[in-house]
Amino acid sequence: MALLFLALVLQVESAVPSDPSAVSISPTGTSALAPTRLTAAADSLRNIAIDERLAADALLRIGDLVVLSATPGGDGDTVRVAAITRGAADPAEVARADHRIRLHLDQLQTLAGYGDRVDRFAIATGEGAATDTALRTINDAAFGFRAHRSTDIAVESSRTFAVVDRFHRAIGIITIVASATFLLCILLLKVDERRRDVAALRLIGISRRTVVRAVVIEAALVAALGSVLGIGIGWAASAIVNWHYRGVYRTPLAFALVTPQVIVIAVSLSLALGVAAGWLAARRLVRAQPLALFGR
Amino acid sequence: MTAMRAAERFDVAERILAARGLSRDYRLGAETVHAVRDVSLEIDAGEYVAIVGPSGCGKSTLLHLLGAIDRPDQGTLDMLGREIARLPEREATAFRLRNVGFVFQRFYLVPTLTARENIELPMAEAGLARDERAARAHELLSYVGLAGRERHRPSQLSGGEQQRVAIARALANRPSLLLADEPTGELDARTGAEVVALFDRLNADGTTLVIVTHDEELARAARRVLHMRDGSVVSDVRRAVRP
Amino acid sequence: MRFVLAAASLQRQGTRTLLAVLGVAISAALLLDMVMLSTGMRESFRSLLSRQGFDLRIAPRGTLPFDTDATIADASAIARTLKEHPEVDAVSPVFGASVHIARDDATIAATALGVDPAVQGDYELLEGTSLPDTMSLVASDAFLVATGARLGDTLRIAAGYDPQLRTWLGRRALVISGRARFIYLPAEQRAIALRLPVLQTMAGAPGTDRVNLFMVRLAPDADADAVQRWIEARSPRVTAVPTAVAIEQVDARLSYFRQLAYILGAVSLIVGFLLVTTLVTVSVNERVGEIAVMRAIGVSRVHIVQQIILEGLAISLAGTAIGLLLGLGTARWLNGILATFPGLPEPIDFFLFQPRAAWTALGMLVLIGIAAGIYPAWRSASLPIAATLREEAVG
Repeated sequence: MALLFLALVLQVESAVPSDPSAVSISPTGTSALAPTRLTAAADSLRNIAIDERLAADALLRIGDLVVLSATPGGDGDTVRVAAITRGAADPAEVARADHRIRLHLDQLQTLAGYGDRVDRFAIATGEGAATDTALRTINDAAFGFRAHRSTDIAVESSRTFAVVDRFHRAIGIITIVASATFLLCILLLKVDERRRDVAALRLIGISRRTVVRAVVIEAALVAALGSVLGIGIGWAASAIVNWHYRGVYRTPLAFALVTPQVIVIAVSLSLALGVAAGWLAARRLVRAQPLALFGR
Repeated sequence: MTAMRAAERFDVAERILAARGLSRDYRLGAETVHAVRDVSLEIDAGEYVAIVGPSGCGKSTLLHLLGAIDRPDQGTLDMLGREIARLPEREATAFRLRNVGFVFQRFYLVPTLTARENIELPMAEAGLARDERAARAHELLSYVGLAGRERHRPSQLSGGEQQRVAIARALANRPSLLLADEPTGELDARTGAEVVALFDRLNADGTTLVIVTHDEELARAARRVLHMRDGSVVSDVRRAVRP
Repeated sequence: MRFVLAAASLQRQGTRTLLAVLGVAISAALLLDMVMLSTGMRESFRSLLSRQGFDLRIAPRGTLPFDTDATIADASAIARTLKEHPEVDAVSPVFGASVHIARDDATIAATALGVDPAVQGDYELLEGTSLPDTMSLVASDAFLVATGARLGDTLRIAAGYDPQLRTWLGRRALVISGRARFIYLPAEQRAIALRLPVLQTMAGAPGTDRVNLFMVRLAPDADADAVQRWIEARSPRVTAVPTAVAIEQVDARLSYFRQLAYILGAVSLIVGFLLVTTLVTVSVNERVGEIAVMRAIGVSRVHIVQQIILEGLAISLAGTAIGLLLGLGTARWLNGILATFPGLPEPIDFFLFQPRAAWTALGMLVLIGIAAGIYPAWRSASLPIAATLREEAVG
C-alpha cells in the first residue's frame, strides 16, 4: 500500500536537506507528440532511460529525442531515450502515478543546479562484520550525515505496510468471528430441522454419542468440501484483484497472494469451526428427550 | 347458554349444506387414489352426523371438502345458500372463518399461545375488538369447563383439556357448522367420553355437528351415521332419538 | 394478535433466535463499518482541507502539495499575480524545510514551515502569540518535548549543515513565541513555523524566493474552477488544485479502501439476507401443520405471511440495533489501527459516522430482513391445506 498521505504532509525529517528540482521532459520537434527521429548529429547526445509508464503516457520509444529541463517549458538538454525500464514492484510507489527517468549523475547535477552534491550514497559491503565496521567508520568520521543499514531503512519505510497488515488482520479477525457465528447459526438451524429423524434414531436405541458423531462427521465433510470450494473462490478472487489493481496502478505488484500458509490456515480454521459448530448443534439436540423432539 | 345457540337463527329443518356428486382424487407417488367418489348428501341445521368407515375410506377427505378446506374435482357444494366448491382461496378462507368451525385429531393449538389466546385467534382474524374477544373467550372456556385455565399454554394442559380448548376455538365465531376429524383419536377412554359429552351438549344447544370418527361411543352419540367405504357413502342411518 | 404470535414464535426457539440476532448484528456492524470507511476518508479530508477556508492549493506543476520536494520559483511574482484576481481574498504562501537544533550532544531535526502569519492556515495557536516578529517561532508540542524548551526560550536553529566545512548553515537564534497544533502534520511530528522570508533566507539558495505551496482563499460564491484556469494560464509552472479536485485525487489514491468497503459491505448484506431467510425457512418448515390449521380455521394467507415476516423483521431490527453499537465500537478499534499510519495528519479519520449514510445502509439491512422472509412465508402459507394436514397426520 502506498504512502498515501504524502500528498498533504512534509517528508519525515532527514539528516541533510535534499532539494532536487523537478525536471521536466518534453519531446523535441514542433508537435508535443512527435519526437524527432535519430540522426547522425544525434550521436553526440547523452542517453537516458525512462520508465514504461512514461513511455506509454508520452508515446515515447527507444531512439526518440527529448528535451530535459529543470522548469516546465524552459531550456534544457536534448537527450536520447536509450532504454525503457520497468520499476521494481515497490508497494511504496504503487499509488503514486510518478514518471521516472534515469540519467547520468553529472548531467542531473548540472541540470538541477545541484552542484557536486548527492542525496545519498548506497554502499555495498562485504559479509557480516564488514557492514558494522563500515557503519561505525562512516558515522564516526563524517558528522552531518549518517549511514544507515538498508534493513533499518526498510523497516522504517515499511511502517505503512505494518499498519495495513494490522488492519488486514483486524478485518480477518472480524470476518472469522462473523463466519463462526453465521456457521453456528445455520448449522443449528439445519440440525434442528432433523430433530424428528434424530428422535426416531434415539427411540430405536441409537446412543447419543453415535448421533453426535454422525452429525460431527457430516459437518466436517461439509466444512472440508466448503474449504475446497473456498480455496478455489479465494484463488479466483485473488487473480481478479491482482488483475484489477495491476491495471489501475500499472504495476507488476501482487496485491493478493494465496500461499500454502494461507491455505493451511484457512482450511484449518474452516474445519475447526465446522466441527465445533456441528458438535454444539448436535449436543443441543441430543440433550432433549426423544419424545420432546417429536413435539409430544 | 346463549353463546352456543348458533343454530337458533335457523328453522329446525333449514338446510345447512347440500353436496352433489362430490369426487376427489389425489396422487400418492405414482398412484391415483380416488379418495371420494360421487358423494351426495344434505345436512340440516341442528343435525349430529357421524361419518364412519375403515381407514383410508375417504372420511377425512370428505370432511375437508365439506369444510371448503379442499376443492372437489367434481360436484357441487352448497352451504347456507352459497356455492362454495370452487370459491377462490381468499373467499373460501373468509367463508370458513365465519361459518365453519374445525376440530382436529391432534388439537393443533398454537403452542406459544395461551388457551385464551388460542380461542381469540379466529375472533382477532374476524376483526372483533379486544374486549369483546376476551369476554367471549372467557365464556367459551367456562362452557367447556376450563374456566381458570385461561393463561395455561397447551403444554400445561392434558390431551382432553387441549381438545376442549380446540372445540372452544372452533366455536369462537359462532359457526353454522362444526366439523371434527377424529376428535377423540388421541385421547384415552375417559377423556374421550368427556369430549363426547361436550359434543352432546353442543348439539343439544343447537350446534350442527359433522364428526369423522372411529370411536364407537361417539358414533353412537350421533343421530345420523354415514358409513363410507372406498370413497363412497354406502349407508346413511338416521336415529330418531339417542340411545 | 399477529405481533403476539410473532413474539411467541421467536421466544419458543430462544437460542436460535438469539444466534440469528447475533448473526444479523455482526452483519449490521460490518456493513456500518464499511459505510463509514467508504465515506469517512473522503469526508475527513474534505473537512481537513476546508477547515481554514482555503479553496485552492497551488503546487509545482504536475505535483500535489508537498507531494515532492519541488518548489515554485519566483514566488513573490506569482503571489502578486494571484492577488490581481478580483475573486481572490487571500494568498498564503508556505515554504517547507528541515531544520536542526543542537541540544547538548544531540542534534534534533524538525520540520519547519515558513508562513505569512497574517494569512497562514497551517496551524492553530494554542498558547502565546503567532510570530510577532522575525525573531520568533511557533512550535508543536512534540517539538517542545523533544527539545525540552518552553515558551520564551531562545533556540539556535540551523537550516542545513556543510559536512566539509563542518558548519551549520543558515543558523539563527529564534524565540519561541507560541505553541500550536499543526493541522496538516501528524501529532508526533516535531514542527515549527516561522516567518516565510526568515526561513527562505536560512535555507540559502534553494529557498530564495521559493515556496512549496500557495493556499488561496476565494470570495464567497467564487467559481473555483474558473480561478484555477485563470491561474494556470498566467503561471504555466504551477498546478492549481481546487479542494474538490484535491479530494478526488486523494480519493483515487485511496480507492483500495473504498473498494474493500463496497465488497465487504455487499457481503454483509448477502449474509444477513441468507441468515434471515434460512431462519424463517426452518422456522416455517417446522410449523407447516400449525400454519395449515390456521388457514383451515379461517386465518387468511396474507395475515399468516405478515406474521412470519414480522418475525424476520423483529430479528433484523434487534440485530441492527445491536449491530449499530457493535459497529461503532469496531470502527473505533479499526480507526485506531489506521490512525498509526506514518505521516497521517492528526484530524484524519478513516471511519466517520455520517448519519444519513449509516441509516440508509442499516435501513437496507432491515428491508432485506423483510424481503428474506417473504418467499418462505408465502410458500408455506400457500401449501394445500388438506394435503398438508394429511402429511402432518402421517408424520
